[in-house]
Amino acid sequence: MSQGRPIVIETRGLRKVYGIDRAPLVALQDISFAVEEGSFVSLVGPSGCGKSTLLQMLAGLVPSTSGEVLVDDVAVRQPAPEKISVMFQDATLLPWKRVSENVEFPLEISGMPAVKRRQRAAAMLSLVGLADFAERYPHELSGGMRQRVSIARALAPDPRIMLMDEPFGALDEQTRIKMGYELLRIWEKTGKTIFFITHSLTEALFLADIVLVMSHRPGRIVGTIKADLPRPRTYEIIGSAEFGAARNRIWKLISQDDRDVNGEGMASL
Amino acid sequence: MTLRRGLMILIVLGLWEAVRRFNLVGPLLLASPTEIAGALVKSWLDYAVALRLTATEIAIALALTWTLGIGAGTIAGLRPFLSATAGPLLSSLFAVPLISWYPLFMVWFGIGITSKIAYAVISGFFPIAINTMNGIGAIDHQYVLLGRAIGCSRRQIVFRILLPMAMPAIVSGLRIGTALVVIGVIVAEMLASLGGIGYLISYYRSIYATDHVYLGILFALGCALAANWGLSLLERRYTSWRVMQIEQR
Repeated sequence: MSQGRPIVIETRGLRKVYGIDRAPLVALQDISFAVEEGSFVSLVGPSGCGKSTLLQMLAGLVPSTSGEVLVDDVAVRQPAPEKISVMFQDATLLPWKRVSENVEFPLEISGMPAVKRRQRAAAMLSLVGLADFAERYPHELSGGMRQRVSIARALAPDPRIMLMDEPFGALDEQTRIKMGYELLRIWEKTGKTIFFITHSLTEALFLADIVLVMSHRPGRIVGTIKADLPRPRTYEIIGSAEFGAARNRIWKLISQDDRDVNGEGMASL
Repeated sequence: MTLRRGLMILIVLGLWEAVRRFNLVGPLLLASPTEIAGALVKSWLDYAVALRLTATEIAIALALTWTLGIGAGTIAGLRPFLSATAGPLLSSLFAVPLISWYPLFMVWFGIGITSKIAYAVISGFFPIAINTMNGIGAIDHQYVLLGRAIGCSRRQIVFRILLPMAMPAIVSGLRIGTALVVIGVIVAEMLASLGGIGYLISYYRSIYATDHVYLGILFALGCALAANWGLSLLERRYTSWRVMQIEQR
């Protein structure tokens, strides 16, 4: 926020309650934050804390009980595919479509002419390094390659914001690290605003400018950590003292919260 | 391969013929291939008329069963609550011997073409509806979210994402349902009707014309094969990706 870039996503007092009639379950409470244009923000928190629900509210897929989400100062009430793309833990490719057809799919739905969308898909596939695989089917690709196709599909409509819900959570560690590099490279090249959910503290810190830390039951933002680490990020950074210190601060915020809930500190580990 | 298979068929036909020629089995129990061919030459016009009626009934019944089964299965599959409640109900209905309902069908629809079609549709409906429902219900919710996020309408989510996704499950339901429709039409014709292959089988049985009974069975088999062939065309068109996926593993 010091750079004074415009705010592209803003949430104000977001709250989500399930089962209002019976025992109400407060899933999210008082979520307020702002994301600067072109920044990379990670959201880290224990599983089941409502991270995905929050992301779906940002995407306009789930309504909030109260509070609001603003994108470019306009309230989000339904999906806005031209502005916001969403990626999931699974690549969610359509198995009967070729890789290029999968990347074209959102463009087809938005009504882009065939010639134009073919060019666009080809450009996105070469951006993610899969130009040679355009005619393949998803099952012929590895898990990491499938997620790259998913990134290409998310980029295809040229959105300003990419919301990613643990996109590398199902990959093995080595692939996951490579995908992190790949994502940073694409982010630097395209200047998108990325909102990235993960439960890995290391991944959150390694990728982001800002790490939002969430607690569970009810999900709240318990801290905002600024990742003041040099870019481009390299794997060695993870072993540095500043990285370790920042990661400890995140862990403290999460475990602090655990103590509040269980009354017995880290015993739940 | 084809040569060996052809030889095999010839041997079976030869043995079959011999069993009758040497009268090892009486004419009431078995008709030889030449006797069956003779029956066809003698009464081919009757069979042509009957086949036309049966084929029409099967075609109409299949169109109805596929549409209703996939439609109802999709609607149920889209609503977890509905499939949780309707699922066991549908499965248990499917377990009832439907033939016991046939007398009622005759009262409701008469002994013409309508009761045959109605009976065949009921026979084939459940496996198609249940498989479609399970196929749609098993799709990860992320796909629905994806569809909504890229701006799909409800209709597009169903037709462009969910139905193609569930196609392998739907086709295996169609396999069972299609066979049951063919059986349903022929059984209904045998029980009470004015024409069709099943009617001929039943009629010739009552006058002990065994050669004609066998001929009728062959026609019934032909109907089942034709329906299956149509289905395999559809299957190749819509589920080849699944086959490739399995071969990869």
